[in-house]
Amino acid sequence: MTVARTSKTKAPNVAAPDPKAVEAIGQALKAHYTDLVHAPLPERFVELLARFEVADRVPEPKGSRDAIG
Amino acid sequence: MPSASFKDELLAEIKNLRAFAISLSGSVSLADDLVQEALLRAWSKSERFQPGTSLRAWLFTILRNIYYSNYRKRAREVQDSDGVYARRLTVPGDQESHLDLEDFRKAMTKLPAEQREVLTLIGASGLSYEEAAAICGVEIGTIKSRLSRARSRLVELLGLDETADAPVEARIRRAG
Repeated sequence: MTVARTSKTKAPNVAAPDPKAVEAIGQALKAHYTDLVHAPLPERFVELLARFEVADRVPEPKGSRDAIG
Repeated sequence: MPSASFKDELLAEIKNLRAFAISLSGSVSLADDLVQEALLRAWSKSERFQPGTSLRAWLFTILRNIYYSNYRKRAREVQDSDGVYARRLTVPGDQESHLDLEDFRKAMTKLPAEQREVLTLIGASGLSYEEAAAICGVEIGTIKSRLSRARSRLVELLGLDETADAPVEARIRRAG
């Protein structure tokens, strides 16, 4: 059930593709990934993390008002 | 209970984790579910993280395990409808690439997940062969051979191998 095979025969030419082609792919891969990394983060993750409770609150110097129940 | 600094570090890694998830699953909506699940798991198992080691690699491992145990089948179903997944995420033209990124992304979705993840881990997210091998639970040699198969396949899918009547340079330029 392979998807869209190109015109080439099956014989996998695993040996060594043209270095320029490999370089172009490397560049495209980085550009693709950089795009993804820079995409705006959905709010749901920020909200999710906001709900995670943490242990070591920095102790307030004096009697803190918001005592944790 | 995890510390506040662990939470900050986690927050700092989400974008990378999400980029990996999108690359791996080929779908933004699946990726977001995956990231959510991975974050919850990371938080509840935070004591298993060894300080001083790579948090990114640890998170990738968690997300990958979730993907292969629960999402892989769904990903196959979703990919077709969601095929050109990254288009709406991206601002065209601000990245240096001579290949058309849309073509590149389509070609990526045609690779087996094992090849796609290795490409992403090594070629894009800046992890070492050792880390990639640990994340995927295989030998470094396996990582290297998957990487080389993935590259060859992409060269083929993108038509960069037809050197006879169209030199690679020309094809790259034409695409860009």
